[in-house]
Amino acid sequence: MQAIKNDVEIKGAFKQYGSNIVLNGINLGVKQGELLTLLGPSGCGKTTTLNLIAGFLEADEGDVYIKGKKVTKVPPFKRDLGMVFQTYSLFPHMTVYENLSFGLKLRKVAKPEQKKKIDRALELVKMSGLENRYPRELSGGQRQRVAISRALVVEPELLLLDEPLSNLDAKLRHELRAEIKRLQKEIGVTTIFVTHDQEEALSISDRVVVMNAGKIEQISSPTSIYNHPDTEFVFQFIGKSNSFEGKITSVDSRKISVQMENEITHVDVGNIMGTDRACKVGDEVKLYIRPEKICIAAAAENVSGLSLDLHKASITQLNYLGTSWEVAVSLLGKPLQILTPDFDSSWQAGSEVYVGWSPSDIMLIKK
Amino acid sequence: MEPVRHYADQEINQEPNTGANLQKTPKNKKRRSWGPGLLLLLPILLFIFGFFIVPMLYILYLSFITTDEIGGTTAAYSLKNYAQFFTDSYYLSSLWLTVKISLYTVILSLLLAYPVALTMAKSSPRVRGYIALLIASPLLVSIVVRNFGWYLLLLPNGTINQTLMSLGIINAPLKLLFSELGVVIGLSNAYLPFMILAIATSLYNIDPSLEKASAILGASPLRSFFSITLPLSLPGIVSGCVLVFSLSMSAYVTPALMGGANVPMMPVVAYDQINNLLRWTFGSAISYVLLATTLITVIVFTRTFERGKFKEVFR
Repeated sequence: MQAIKNDVEIKGAFKQYGSNIVLNGINLGVKQGELLTLLGPSGCGKTTTLNLIAGFLEADEGDVYIKGKKVTKVPPFKRDLGMVFQTYSLFPHMTVYENLSFGLKLRKVAKPEQKKKIDRALELVKMSGLENRYPRELSGGQRQRVAISRALVVEPELLLLDEPLSNLDAKLRHELRAEIKRLQKEIGVTTIFVTHDQEEALSISDRVVVMNAGKIEQISSPTSIYNHPDTEFVFQFIGKSNSFEGKITSVDSRKISVQMENEITHVDVGNIMGTDRACKVGDEVKLYIRPEKICIAAAAENVSGLSLDLHKASITQLNYLGTSWEVAVSLLGKPLQILTPDFDSSWQAGSEVYVGWSPSDIMLIKK
Repeated sequence: MEPVRHYADQEINQEPNTGANLQKTPKNKKRRSWGPGLLLLLPILLFIFGFFIVPMLYILYLSFITTDEIGGTTAAYSLKNYAQFFTDSYYLSSLWLTVKISLYTVILSLLLAYPVALTMAKSSPRVRGYIALLIASPLLVSIVVRNFGWYLLLLPNGTINQTLMSLGIINAPLKLLFSELGVVIGLSNAYLPFMILAIATSLYNIDPSLEKASAILGASPLRSFFSITLPLSLPGIVSGCVLVFSLSMSAYVTPALMGGANVPMMPVVAYDQINNLLRWTFGSAISYVLLATTLITVIVFTRTFERGKFKEVFR
């Protein structure tokens, strides 16, 4: 019994430019109808991976399958894909209508049928009525909408999006992000989205692939990428993080106790990251926690939640962010960033507070 | 439908067409002081005025002056020189010859230049630099020297004819030198760099992702070339053609050396009138007919493209 069939399959992809390894053994399956994001810093291999799927590059080793067919050596123009680029890439000498009919003409779609498809595709991205404009006469957001409808009008096997929102301002980026998500669900086309923006990746995807230095670090849902990263890299790349160092003092079936200076904190055994997850007493470890997972209160009894480890700390800086406060404290002489909606107006730099966290929110990795 | 359109129109204002908008709002602009800029431009303005505009105006004046029997000028203005030009079939055929040879030169150099420009555009910046150096290197050799180099190749018993004859391709030597073909070859060789660089510049400006977008939509590389790359390189093609055409129209050395008396192009004829026959006034008229023909051809040619099917490319 086979599970959901993968629309895209990359097996053992390896790519090298001179001595620079850009893909170091990539294995990836994209499920039918899902929106998968390739996320990572620049140079991590995410765009190379996308180009492998599009056919613009051929790997030194490994194969690519689309809908079960091996396409490793098939040129891009025979792959029947849709793609949206960072620079919009609309043909400047063609009107919006001509841009959309380009792919349909090549597929020998009859003229009346072309018109129907183009009308529908433009309506989908709320661009009806602008058929006769040239790309020059459109704003950035409008251009990208047209580019998306140009990619979709040919009803491609896959939709590839190469940092499509990077050239837009923040407000438009949010708007189009939500729209891409809606469109993707509406049409159900299997979509691969490349971005270096972690918030974008988390908000839009069904699954996120975090890449680093030519390798896949983790493939998971956005929530587990954020809350239970597999590796130190993923923790640090996604969102903000605090880290401490310590030594394991005891291990039981549920919790690991870690001593930092003269304080003890507890970590759930499921929260170990990295490849070597066998922890024993005496191991040197690094602990990671996100700023918003830390509770802060003026008095010990005010900290909500019973399973919290509490530590005394002093405030060094307070920054108001609108929706929350960013509080910098000094814990055991080390800086700690806290993000909290609860705020005591008596706090100021130098105030003594209690900070705490749940063992399920702190991640551990062996050094 | 209506709200959709409204929304779309609203958005366009966020990325204004800068050029047009700046001109519309001159009130917001601070008045720029021209003083220092003008001062810096003064030497070149004086130079151009003194050594280009004044002589050109003087020649224009001469072209409307008549000559008496002994070659002296009279102060009477007339169109006699122009009338003489347009009623004598020798001069009219010289004009036609000049236009024809220039057009052939444009076509030959365009065909030779485009593949080179395309190669440059596809190469890495380093390779591109080497190619540019190679292309520019003939400009380092004096055009006179280069033309004598062509003699060795094109003479009846020169390299090309001897090779073709020994291969049995031809029986008698081709008339390559002192012929229209010879001039076209010489001019194309001389002006090829301008054509290559003009086309290459417009090819560099094409966003490489356009070709990717075209491929992903299903276009083969050949189809992408004719649908995307070629139309988008039209500005370079047009400016290259304009350059090579104007240069060919006014070329003197190559027609004189490679064509001789068999290929009397306008500059050669004008030179002959002025320097050998001392008919300054008629020579001036020939020059202005040549100038006008070149200008009109270039303007009509450029306008045709700027208003044609691909007018959007020229914006």
